[in-house]
Amino acid sequence: MLASIPSATLHGVDGRSVSVEVHVSAGLPGFTVVGLPDAAVRESRDRVRAALLSSQLSWPSRRVTVNLAPSGVRKTGAGLDLPIAIGLLVAADVLPSACVDGTGFVGELGLDGSVRPVPGIASLVAAITGDRVVVPAGAASEAVFVAGERVRPASTVAELVAALRGLSPWPAIARSADTSPTCAPVHDLLDVRGQLVARRSLEIAAAGGHHLLLVGAPGSGKTMLATRLAGILPALTRDEALEVLRIHSAAGVAVSGGAFPSRPPLRAPHHGATEVAIVGGGTSWLRPGEISLAHAGVLFLDELGEFPATVLDALRQPLEEHLIRVRRARGAVDFPARFILVAAMNPCPCGEGGLPGACRCNDAIRQRYLRRLSAPLLDRFDLAITMSRPDVEDLLGGPPGDSSATVAARVTGARELAHARGVRCNAELAVDQLEDRTTLSPEAAALLERRLRSGALSARGLHRVRRVALTIADLDGVPRVDERQVAEALQLRAARSVLVSGGTP
Amino acid sequence: VNASITLSEDERYGAALASLGAGPGTLRKFLTDYSAAEAWDAIALGCHRADPERRYRAKAVPHAVDLVAAACARSGVAVMVLGDLGYPPSLAEDREAPAVLFSTGDVSVLEGRPRVAVVGTRSATPYGLGVAAELGRGLAGAGVVVVSGAALGVDAAAQVAALGVEGAPVVGVLGTALDAPATRRHMALRDAIRCGGAVLSEIPPGAHSARWWFAVRNRVIAALAHVVVVVECHHRGGSLHTVAAALARGVTVTAVPGSVRSPASAGTNRLLVEGAVPVRDVDDVLTAVELAVAGRPGITPPGRPRQSSGQPGRERAVRSPGPGATRVRHALDHDPASLETIVRRSGLPVGEVSLALEQLTEAGLAGGAQGWWWRLGR
Repeated sequence: MLASIPSATLHGVDGRSVSVEVHVSAGLPGFTVVGLPDAAVRESRDRVRAALLSSQLSWPSRRVTVNLAPSGVRKTGAGLDLPIAIGLLVAADVLPSACVDGTGFVGELGLDGSVRPVPGIASLVAAITGDRVVVPAGAASEAVFVAGERVRPASTVAELVAALRGLSPWPAIARSADTSPTCAPVHDLLDVRGQLVARRSLEIAAAGGHHLLLVGAPGSGKTMLATRLAGILPALTRDEALEVLRIHSAAGVAVSGGAFPSRPPLRAPHHGATEVAIVGGGTSWLRPGEISLAHAGVLFLDELGEFPATVLDALRQPLEEHLIRVRRARGAVDFPARFILVAAMNPCPCGEGGLPGACRCNDAIRQRYLRRLSAPLLDRFDLAITMSRPDVEDLLGGPPGDSSATVAARVTGARELAHARGVRCNAELAVDQLEDRTTLSPEAAALLERRLRSGALSARGLHRVRRVALTIADLDGVPRVDERQVAEALQLRAARSVLVSGGTP
Repeated sequence: VNASITLSEDERYGAALASLGAGPGTLRKFLTDYSAAEAWDAIALGCHRADPERRYRAKAVPHAVDLVAAACARSGVAVMVLGDLGYPPSLAEDREAPAVLFSTGDVSVLEGRPRVAVVGTRSATPYGLGVAAELGRGLAGAGVVVVSGAALGVDAAAQVAALGVEGAPVVGVLGTALDAPATRRHMALRDAIRCGGAVLSEIPPGAHSARWWFAVRNRVIAALAHVVVVVECHHRGGSLHTVAAALARGVTVTAVPGSVRSPASAGTNRLLVEGAVPVRDVDDVLTAVELAVAGRPGITPPGRPRQSSGQPGRERAVRSPGPGATRVRHALDHDPASLETIVRRSGLPVGEVSLALEQLTEAGLAGGAQGWWWRLGR
């Protein structure tokens, strides 16, 4: 008469455990779902009925009440179809309750009785307690990363019922072969000719977790370079990989083709993207946005100046706090968002402003273009460099630079030094840590003082320069930050002044 | 700001005529054989000889006169009508002199001194800006009035440098109304020129400018100048209008040579090929000025300034630059180069080049701005 089936629903990127209670009693035939269901859950009645009938199982012509407990939590998505169907079978005495003891279910049903994957399997499975968790066969490999041996795949309701009754064995989980952490990145730095300064900046950005701004004329290779950053970052740790998996799964985005993510993700949203698409949110259920999908990886914003100002300003909090707090009437969630921001832009609307004397944009147009970038956002870029088109000699068989693998090895070495300071990367060093755990040579201090006195450097800028200089010292393998590292750090943020002053070059 | 502007009847009607929106040629015809007030009445009645189609009749309503006068008073703008006493004599003889001229500041600075127009592109290179500033400073020091279009770029560099010299007047000729809204930097420049000389315009306060006014006002710059110096200009641009106007008046045109590879010097280099006088520094310009004003009564020839000892601050204590600095200095030339180029030319790592550039800048041997670097000194 009564069955209670453990399941879960998605809240942001986390799963919340839900108990699906099904009660079948005498009375007029009917089907009611209570407990804050959304439209997708309410529609599940029709899917469940058709799926059961297609699987040669009976539909009780009695009064059915489904309660989704706790009733205060909003339930979203079609993942509750399967637990409702199973609960119905148990409550209608089609399936003995002993068969489902300690078993959780999640999955969407098709009218033909098939069990379909739903977004957020990784998080949902983590929220379900019990000895076994039945998940759609298509998402089983993803669930295994989180729940291991507890996972049972199901491709149709009929098969599932047979397996639950012990009449047939559980099908094997189709494991994706590509789980080795050494899978090669798609793009290699070997392809980039010339651009010595830009390559160096990329390496420093990867080693220290510094945000990077590339300013340059069209065709100078900004996009090509930026897309290679993910390839030189260290492989994800297991914890990071799980976070990445959960976020991508919750957003309904396939990550590394169903394999366990080992490489940092790269997200490159188009500048037409809305604020919600970038930071997360949404009407039906709160989805992670692009900045969360880039968590532990790289967010690449091409044509930074074309993004709406509201979108750019929304980036400021996540850049500081490494998470985004999405607050809506329907609920509040915090999405993780710790990424390296790489942005590319033209120096002016005509794109030729890089080379002095080549640009024909008038001053007002240039100012209007640059005013879209707020100073607080520009402040958050530790590295800002100007790129120009590569030389002909470089394009036609100049000496190739280091490969991604070589650079990645140096980056990993520098990151280990940062670990020794107690942070993931140097960009995360707080000001007091910077003072305590690093030393400046007297010449380096003198150089910084000169810049501070001349007004070319602000207090915030000072700390940013020091962090970058520290990363450079780590990469160079020197124990102390010297004048050379500071000079380079200052040099690699020079493009900032173009944007801040907005001046004619 | 001129404390109180009270306009004579001639000036009131002159300003009103300018606000009708006629071009400079028509405006001159309005005032030929008519006083300003007579011209206004004739247009209003539709019987002015220069307005046979009565195109301006509808605009010549009585309260338009008060509106323009009020706008002049509000923004402290003085009005000068051609043929009146207050009109600058230096401009009055020109055959295309503006019939009505608006000004702020002190117009009398135009008289009795040699005048040089320093003009050039708005998107100048550091080289062009540097030369313009050097010329502006040197000319002002020699008692020459620097006339320019008060645009950003070369114009601004020359005039700002000239304003830095004590008691050296500068004159800006605008292509917009004197109270037209502008960017903050442009406003600041305009105010600075007004305080250190005069700002002129043919457009009444409150009126909108059109693009063609910029080309038209260049004839005023050429008419005022004894010598025109083009510092940097692209193969097309407003500076070439000034040059054409100067040639039509027999005013000496000089040009500063630039790199044949630099697009910002394409126009100047072509002028040189076509016979403009090349100028390398202030002395060259002053020579041209002396030739131009020789025999003209009432113009004080420029005083040669003391032999300049290069740019100030060049001879600072040089910390012995490392071996990298020497290589980097060889990798620099007088055209701006990006860090990338210097790294490639010198073959040194980015850190080493950065340090070397820092030391060279400190020693005054290299200049840099916004990510571009060039060589200073010989």
